[in-house]
Amino acid sequence: MKIIKILLVMLAIPLSLQEVVADYKDGKDKSQVCAGCHGTDGNSQISMYPRLAGQHKDYLVYALEGYRSGNRQNAIMSGFAKGLSDQDIQDLSEYYSMQKGLKTLPER
Amino acid sequence: MKSIYKLITIPIMILFAPAGMADSPLPGKDKSETCLGCHAIPGYNNVYPTYKVPKVAGQNADYIISALKAYRDKDRIHETMHANASALTDQDITDIAEYFESLK
Repeated sequence: MKIIKILLVMLAIPLSLQEVVADYKDGKDKSQVCAGCHGTDGNSQISMYPRLAGQHKDYLVYALEGYRSGNRQNAIMSGFAKGLSDQDIQDLSEYYSMQKGLKTLPER
Repeated sequence: MKSIYKLITIPIMILFAPAGMADSPLPGKDKSETCLGCHAIPGYNNVYPTYKVPKVAGQNADYIISALKAYRDKDRIHETMHANASALTDQDITDIAEYFESLK
């Protein structure tokens, strides 16, 4: 009987740990909304809007979650981020992080 | 004769090349020395929460200006950035932003 319990627990662990897996292609499709300001590949040509191309994925996730929760304030981005699911945030961040653009500052 | 002419004029042209055309660094290069501690280390992590310190080389200048001012005014969360931005003048912020954008 104990063995069955242990087996059930072992089966339940992977299910509970299931994470959202980012999808590049979906991210590309979903990014069309963002392209108006951030450019088609995240290399925004409008100086007041940040480039996203090549940015670290986990930073993009952190930023989007911040806009969604209200931790980070921006009239335009709050509106867009409120409608995003965790899956959307993963997909978009995956797509933009894979584009060529931003770089780490050079060492002196 | 032609080559002698070149020999004389080219060094003179170089000598009088306007500042900025030669590799005189932007003022923001020196002013951004402090930023390197975090933003020049590839893959360096912020902690609590954990995410990689954002890349800023090649970032658009006006965006950097608004971000730094938001940190200075504490409108944007991040304690280290509050501390670093608090000492910056508007001119410092503009210079740093122009330097970052120049690294495209």
